[in-house]
Amino acid sequence: MKKLLEISLGIVTSVGGFLEIGSIATAAQAGADFGFQLIWAVLLGGLCVIFLVEQGGRLSAISGHTVTGAIRERFGFNYFILLFIILSAVTLLVLSAELGGVCIALEMSTGIRFQLWAIPVALVIWLILWKGTFGVIEKGISILGLVTISFIVGAVVMKPNWRSVLSGAVPSLPTSEKSHYWFSAVSILGASISPYLYLFYSSGAIEDEWDEGYIGVNRVIASFGMSFGSLISVAVLILGALVFPPRGLHADQYSQLALLMQDAFGHTGFIFFVLSLGISCLGAALEITLQMAYFAAQGFGWNWSENLPPKKEARFSLTYTIVVILAMLLVLTGIDPLQLTIISMALTAATLPLSTVPFLILMNDRKYLANSRNGWFSNAVVIVIITVAFVLAIVSIPLQILGGS
Amino acid sequence: MDLVRDCLDKQLVDRHGHKMGRVDGIILEVGDGRIPIVTAIEIGPVCQASRFHPMFAKVVKRITNRFGVVQKDPYRLPWSKVIPAGIEVVAGVEAEDTPVLGWELWLRKHVIERIPGA
Repeated sequence: MKKLLEISLGIVTSVGGFLEIGSIATAAQAGADFGFQLIWAVLLGGLCVIFLVEQGGRLSAISGHTVTGAIRERFGFNYFILLFIILSAVTLLVLSAELGGVCIALEMSTGIRFQLWAIPVALVIWLILWKGTFGVIEKGISILGLVTISFIVGAVVMKPNWRSVLSGAVPSLPTSEKSHYWFSAVSILGASISPYLYLFYSSGAIEDEWDEGYIGVNRVIASFGMSFGSLISVAVLILGALVFPPRGLHADQYSQLALLMQDAFGHTGFIFFVLSLGISCLGAALEITLQMAYFAAQGFGWNWSENLPPKKEARFSLTYTIVVILAMLLVLTGIDPLQLTIISMALTAATLPLSTVPFLILMNDRKYLANSRNGWFSNAVVIVIITVAFVLAIVSIPLQILGGS
Repeated sequence: MDLVRDCLDKQLVDRHGHKMGRVDGIILEVGDGRIPIVTAIEIGPVCQASRFHPMFAKVVKRITNRFGVVQKDPYRLPWSKVIPAGIEVVAGVEAEDTPVLGWELWLRKHVIERIPGA
């Protein structure tokens, strides 16, 4: 009974916490520019995330290590510090994008410029981390995030041609704007396969004191939670494909995103969109900030737990404080949050092998996982998808910057 | 025992389970014609930085001195006090009696405790 409750709660939090500015923006733009043609990228990213999250949870439940801690142990200090620097830089951009997402939601509902919201929003995030417990952050905010299911309802209400939707699930070559098509695919993959997601999940497994008995729970939560989550991203893409092209829009300005649910629900749709954007970005911002502090604390061996008072873990709490301030400063510079989002998602895709390759090696290490190591199928899925994301990123990012097509 | 596999970079906890950092270095005594003997493990930011590049170790040392943090040199824990215990390494001492928490305590006193609600 207890496990059933944990499974339901786990799935609910994974679904509610899945969407964030990255998946909303990349899916909406892909829909606007290429109709249903890029649905495959959302599904491919979702599939990879199911496997990575399941593996992160399994590593922690079996070995008692977090992924970060295990990477430091297995690959030494120097690899850890390189990964720490690169991943922190990219993740900080992603965090600023999420913070910007909350600010945009507030701008949409109040009319006050998003930069002006940066300080109050950062303060709220910091206060929740300062005072809250892991449960509040993981479960509370994610349950509120269930409002993002409105995207699925919206997509169904719009009665898309389901046959075309299904054909988009099969990868196909672009007919025009080739480099932009592949760049969009890369951004979608980067938005789905964020390393912070499985690193955070692995920290969560330790915070929630998982052991071998949780292998089944973990598998169910990862597969159902992440599949439903990906369906919400697909719904955003469908809405993007139905809403933007008739208006001649490309969803390249964040104000346009508010139209996503307008055709389905009218003004209520606008309210649902603002709530979805605000809550999902707030949830993601909290998780990312916390994950950056976990990353430092676990790698350096400090005290870390969101359940301890800040005084008991000065370095940990100082780290998230600095992280929130840096992200806030980046939003204050007035960089367009939508562009920041797309760029940071593509960069995430380009840096994926740095964290996933050592992670996969760990997942095959008898010393950590004994008989619960990865099978060939789990290895193959992750290797193939990460390679695709990486190669596409390396090829398409320079092309996109040069503006070729 | 495999020093690199079972000791280096592992989480170090004191005898009460309090986290003391990670095993950042291992000290060997090398004499003429003798077999090298493990004498201690090292913990601390300076040791971490020196693993990356000695130049960084100098910089970290300067910063540490500047702020008057207790731990100036890497802390050496005698090998006799080191107990490998599965996924962790246990130190037969109390964390508070060693200088490894230098930065933690300095930040607690000068920064974190000054923020309301800590």
